[in-house]
Amino acid sequence: MREMSGDWSLRPGGMTPRERMKALLSGRPIDRTPFYPFARSFCAIQAGMSLETFFSDPASSLEAQLWTKIMLDHDEVLKFGGGCYGAWEFGGTVKPPTSDLQQSMSVERHPVQSEEDVERLELPDIAVAGSIPRTMEFCKLQHAAGLVCSVSVGTPFLIAGNICGIDRLSRWLLKKPVLAHRVLRLATDFGVAVAKHWLDTFGPDNVDIRESAPTDSNQVISPKHFRDFSFPYLMELHERVLGLGARYIYSHICGEQNLNLPLWRELPFGDPGIASFGHEVDVTKAVEMLGDKCIIVGNVEPRIIQTESPRTVYERSRECLEKGKQGPRGFILAAGCELPPKAPAANVFAMKKAIDDFGWYE
Amino acid sequence: MDSTEAGTEILRGLAEAVVAYDEEKTVELARMSLKQGIDPGVAILKGLAFGMDQVGKLYETQEYFVPELLLCADAMNAALDVLKPHIKVEAQAERHSVVIGTVEGDIHEIGKNLVKIMYEAAGWTVYDLGADVKAASFSEEQKRTGAEVVAMSCLMTTSMLAIPEVIKAIKANDPDITVMVGGAPLNRELAMAYGADGYAESCGSAVKETLTALNRVKGAT
Repeated sequence: MREMSGDWSLRPGGMTPRERMKALLSGRPIDRTPFYPFARSFCAIQAGMSLETFFSDPASSLEAQLWTKIMLDHDEVLKFGGGCYGAWEFGGTVKPPTSDLQQSMSVERHPVQSEEDVERLELPDIAVAGSIPRTMEFCKLQHAAGLVCSVSVGTPFLIAGNICGIDRLSRWLLKKPVLAHRVLRLATDFGVAVAKHWLDTFGPDNVDIRESAPTDSNQVISPKHFRDFSFPYLMELHERVLGLGARYIYSHICGEQNLNLPLWRELPFGDPGIASFGHEVDVTKAVEMLGDKCIIVGNVEPRIIQTESPRTVYERSRECLEKGKQGPRGFILAAGCELPPKAPAANVFAMKKAIDDFGWYE
Repeated sequence: MDSTEAGTEILRGLAEAVVAYDEEKTVELARMSLKQGIDPGVAILKGLAFGMDQVGKLYETQEYFVPELLLCADAMNAALDVLKPHIKVEAQAERHSVVIGTVEGDIHEIGKNLVKIMYEAAGWTVYDLGADVKAASFSEEQKRTGAEVVAMSCLMTTSMLAIPEVIKAIKANDPDITVMVGGAPLNRELAMAYGADGYAESCGSAVKETLTALNRVKGAT
């Protein structure tokens, strides 16, 4: 580590975050590796805001995220809400976090409680369903501030789990596959409809289409179930969303996914897409499997960012940079999953310092 | 086939039906075991629990995943419902007991429920507090039940911060209570630093790790 001293400061960047990301997505040279801290609830805590407000009030949420963005000078697209997507939108109930030990929204009641409920399940009116009006309000403020807007569209398996409860969905994979497929069908159509709503409102150049895949991981389902129940709907979702004009899909390939990677590789993501990985997938492997079609994002373990020293975080960040920086479509240094809300600020900054020392393209 | 052979066949069948998550079969064999005069405690231990032990191993080796494990547990529980009313009272008195829950701030229950299944399969009495459980509730439930073990889990880096507080509350009340922890953001080193007596990386090793920790704590007192 280059020793810090009293007159030490970061090298001034040659590009703004928007210029940097635009260049990266266009395959043009960039000044340095971009930084995605994966900061959500962390922003509320940094801004002294309650998590309840952060997850309920779009204007407050944007304000907290903007302060954190300026503070860390990061390149990440800001995002409203998080967790349990699909549950409220399909008629269930959710609740915001009420304690600083919580991280995100949680489901109070899943819209599907029985097999009969699946028969009654319908695609909701996208304009008014659940969290969508608030997310749209957030994105309109974001757009007015000259920022790219972000919206979640999946994964279908994640949304289906939020609709039925992951326990119930898991049992149906083996015992009632027809029911599982019906919920996955609706979850996929929902994702496409949300993407269309955003693309129609803001235009393809201003929308960051996202999905997160924690329950698609092998910490929950087998590679076989990923192949049979997750992958076909992912393929359809990606094809249809890109067909609507989306420039790329940002996939957070969360958790243990090593055995699923050959199928992830078959998906279209845009040219390039963006694929982010949990710490369970080594960056070298990520680049090998998806680096020719996606910008690779990763992947300092969140636990380390929370519990270890800034020097340890710096060292892990250096390792990630060395493995990923020369990826064919580029690399973004990031936390492997959402930044722990109470992560020490110096630990987050240590990632930025590692980029300053090892992330420049000379 | 004599009655001993028939009994052995039934026990093997129970284990195999659990592994095959065949609920109808486990119930049918549980009823058959009662008719054959097999001690229900033996049917549970050498049939159902043995089957769940195999399931735990299949989970450890990534042949089974959460869906399979949940259905195996359903098959086991359906048979337990048949057998439990016939267990002799003195046999029940020998069971280990554990209070279990997901710590405050965390609503994720799958991991905790899988560990609960493994305790139940091994014949433990389980007092399940559910998810988002406050430190005081763990302590109060342990005092109420007299359980020798308190086990807690978390999935989030946020809620893992609650674990040292829970352990502190339990140990302040009785330092001889064995505390087990587990969950995605933890590791053994961190578990020990938090003051836990034991750590299990997955549900498959939870019972074994708990017994090791329990013996260590008991041996030290």
